[in-house]
Formats: sequence, structure tokens, C-alpha cells
Amino acid sequence: MLLTIHNLQVRYGSQLALQIDCPISIHEGERIGIIGSNGAGKTTLVKSILGLTSYKGSIRTNLKPEQIAAHMQSNHYAATMPVKTIMETILDTNIRKNRELQELISYFEFEKCLHKRYSHLSGGQKQRFTIIMVMLQNAPLTFYDEVTSGLDFETRQKLMEKLVNWYQNKSNTLCIVSHYYEELEMLAEKILILDQGKVIAFGEKKELFRKYCGRSVFITDSTKQNQELLREYKKLKSPEHLLAIACPDLETEHKISELLLQENVNFKRSDNDIEIMSTNAKAAYYEREGSAYEDQIMQ
Amino acid sequence: MRGKGAPMKTKSCNKRLIIYEIRNAIGNPFIAFFGIVFPVMMLMIITFSLRKQVPSSMVREANTGVFITMSLIIPMAVILLGHSANYSQELEKEIPVRMQLFGFSQNSIMLAKIIAQTITLTAGLIFYSVFSYILVDLQSPKLSSALCLIGCLYVMGICFFLFAHGLSNIFKKFGPTYTISMFVYFGSMILCGMMGIQTEQLPKALRRVASFLPMSYVSSDFIDFWQGGSYNFGPMIQAFLFFGALCGLLVVYSNYKNRRVIK
Repeated sequence: MLLTIHNLQVRYGSQLALQIDCPISIHEGERIGIIGSNGAGKTTLVKSILGLTSYKGSIRTNLKPEQIAAHMQSNHYAATMPVKTIMETILDTNIRKNRELQELISYFEFEKCLHKRYSHLSGGQKQRFTIIMVMLQNAPLTFYDEVTSGLDFETRQKLMEKLVNWYQNKSNTLCIVSHYYEELEMLAEKILILDQGKVIAFGEKKELFRKYCGRSVFITDSTKQNQELLREYKKLKSPEHLLAIACPDLETEHKISELLLQENVNFKRSDNDIEIMSTNAKAAYYEREGSAYEDQIMQ
Repeated sequence: MRGKGAPMKTKSCNKRLIIYEIRNAIGNPFIAFFGIVFPVMMLMIITFSLRKQVPSSMVREANTGVFITMSLIIPMAVILLGHSANYSQELEKEIPVRMQLFGFSQNSIMLAKIIAQTITLTAGLIFYSVFSYILVDLQSPKLSSALCLIGCLYVMGICFFLFAHGLSNIFKKFGPTYTISMFVYFGSMILCGMMGIQTEQLPKALRRVASFLPMSYVSSDFIDFWQGGSYNFGPMIQAFLFFGALCGLLVVYSNYKNRRVIK
């Protein structure tokens, strides 16, 4: 076991930013996606683990703070300094003599940026710059906190593909914080859902999906015609413009797909849609807690 | 099958980090102007006006007195103002946190900055001394007096560094840090005779405050033994101990406050 969190509580002034009651353990080699809306406590959790914020409770680990690598949202360096100088200083290496680093630089197509000043890099280049340095750390535990926020769709896709491919055969434990569900679908095996500083659910992605959605889901546009067509099937909570239907077994799946095909309705079938899963996990959590999910969304 | 990664190393203060910090310090226009150009400029202006005010036989001594006093501006501007401006801006952008996340400890970063600032201070002092002796008529010092002044300037530099570093670490913002540094800078200049008013001319309460600042002893007393003679260093050493302890406590507290702990 790499790290265990027990009874964690973080407050900013009088405001409770994060509360984790049940123990959360991170094991070697795991790929954990941390998801939640703004103010859910994602970055607070990362900062607590990194020892950058004070907290009550315990985070037990044999790792020293220096053995945990992190790409945080704040991504600044000395603006007037050449990128190459910053990189060689931070990594304490010479690019010309470090093959692994050269490989990473070329993997991320960063060669031309090395002689620019940091302030002259674009948003995507800045992210790639830090990612290269974080990857070279080869830390047992690495955090990526919203690495793609602020980037356009194409740059985001490319960056995530590079990340996925790079870590494919490696043993590093990764914790990826993201707003974008599709990124976590690509990278994460386990999901931690946070909301308003509380843990909504934590577990294997597949198990959580089965628990909150069933075997699979069919997602279509939420039109009157589709609602009428699928009225006899179990509806899941979903974003307003979508209609999500739960399939508990293969038979139901066949029936629904045939029906949709017959009626020429566009649909998506998924057994790992994190957006629908987290929406329903939240709904179930607040139902258990005795407050309506809609009330929590409004807050 | 996933490959096992090599453990990450903790980085200590090294040559690369020091060179980086020197470039970082020199790239700051506050340091270049206030620490290197400004003292020479002030020396030129004040000694020019002194020519008309003092008898010609006293000009060299008066010039030398101004030279000694203006030399105090260098550690104050390079380190007190320069480092507080630079470091507080870095903290505001969370750059030191990034460095820590890449394995540099707070102490390694601080040590590299101290060495870089010392090198910048040395460059500033050399520039100031060379230009002053070329452009202004000055007395040659006794070696021990010159070494004494240089030693005092470096010790002051260390005190100013601790003060600026601690202050920046506590506020983590450029605005309040720089305001306090400027207040201390101009306050010290007024109290220690760098703004044309001698310490003896100040009201009793301000003279008492000035007695806690080592700069006031350098400014008013060093000219008396510049070319030889004896001097009672006791009060100045006490001032250094008091000022140094204050600055040291500030940095120890700020480093403790900002330490990374995983419980």
C-alpha cells in the first residue's frame, strides 16, 4: 500500500473544504481519477497529500514529500528565463547528456520551445513543459491536477493520448484530477467522486458503473419522441439535454438497441460513462443523506 | 507488464541552481538600478554639492564619508529591496512550491538564493568601489578598515536577506512585502544618515531606534578610523546581534510556517 487517508478534515477559515471519513487507500500501480465540480475538494485533497496545506486526520505513507511528483494547476516559472535553463535547473541535468529527457522532449515535440523564454510559451506548451519535467521524475506517486484545463479540444486530446501512451507499460501510481470525463475514461481504473468536500464514491470504475448504472447505458437526446419511445425502461439521472437508460442485463440491451435502430434514433451505448455514473452516484448519496439531489445541484 | 520506475532524488543546492538564481537576481531591474547605478549616482551628486560647502582641505575626507555611507545602499537595495521584490513575486506565482515539488527543499532554495545574492552584492560593491575611486577624490583606507567595512556590508547583507526572505514567506504577496521593505529601506536611510541628516541631529527617540541598527554606526563612525586609529566596536556588535537575531527569528518562523508535512 502506497498511501492511506484516515478521517481527513481540511478547513479554510470556518469553511469545511474537505472531509474524508471512511479510509481511502492508494495502492502501487493504480490509476485513480478524481472527479468533482468546482469546490468539490479535489485540489485540496491533492494539496493535503503533498503536504502543502494543513489538515486534521492522517495521511499515512512511507513516501517522502519529495517522492511525490505533481503537476498542479498553477504552472508558473521565472517568466524572463529561457525554458532550457529552467528545465536543466529544476531537473538538475544537462539535456544534451540525458537521453531519457531527450526522448521525452521529442515525444512531446518540444524541441523548438527550449530556446524560448517561459513567458513566450502558449498554454499548451506550458502544460507540456511541466508534464515533461513531472514525467522525468519517475515518482512512485504522481498527481496531474487538471493538466488540460484552458486548452482547446484538439490540444487536449493530443496531450491526453500522449499521457496514456507514455504510462501504458509503467508501474507509476497516477492520480488524475479532471473536469473532463472522457479523459478519465481513457486513463483511470479507479474513480474517486467528490462533491462539496465529501466523498460520494470511491472504487473500481467498472464496479461503480455497475452499482450506479447497471450493465450498460443507452444515451440519446432528451426529446419528447425519445422519452415516449423509452418510457417503459429505467431512466437514470443525466444532464438535462440527455436521456440515459439503464440496462441491467444483456436481454434489455438487445431490446433497447433494436428499438432505437428500428426507429432510427441516434444513440450511444456505454459501459463506462463516467459522467452518467458520477451523476447517479451523487443522486444516490444525497438520497441516502436525506436531501434531494436537485437541491444540492442548485447550491 | 509495467516497468518499475527509479526512485526520485532529493535535490540539494547545486551549481546549476546558484547560476539560475544569479540570472534571476540580475534580471530584476530593481537590483540593477537601485543596487548598482543608484549608489554611484548618489555619491556623484552629494560629493559635487559638498565641494561648495566644505573647505578644500576637507573635501577628500567629506567625500570618503559619503562613499562609506552610500556603500550601505548596495546591500539594502540589492538584497532588502531586490530579494523581497523578486521572491515575493515568485511566491505569489507559487514558483517556490513548484521547485519544492521537484525535490528542492526550502533550505536548498534559500541557500542558493543567499549565494546568488552574495555574488550579486560582490559585483555591486566592486562596481561601486571602482567607479567611485575613478570618478571621485577619495582617501585610501587602511587595509583593516576596508576589510572591516566589507565584512560589515556582507553581514548586513545576510541580515537583510533573512529579513526579506522571512517577510516574503509570511505574506506570499508582492504588495505588502514590498511596502514593508520600502518602509524599512527609507526608514533606515533616514535614521542612519543616508538622506543628509546625521544620526546625532535626530530627536532622542529616533536616535534610540537608530542605535539598534548597525548601519548607523557604519555611516557615522567608520570615517573616524578609515585611515587608522582605534574604535570601540561594542555597541555596533550589539546592534548586529540584535538586528541579526530579529531577522533570523523571522526566517525561522516563516520556514516553519511553510514546511511540508504529511502526518
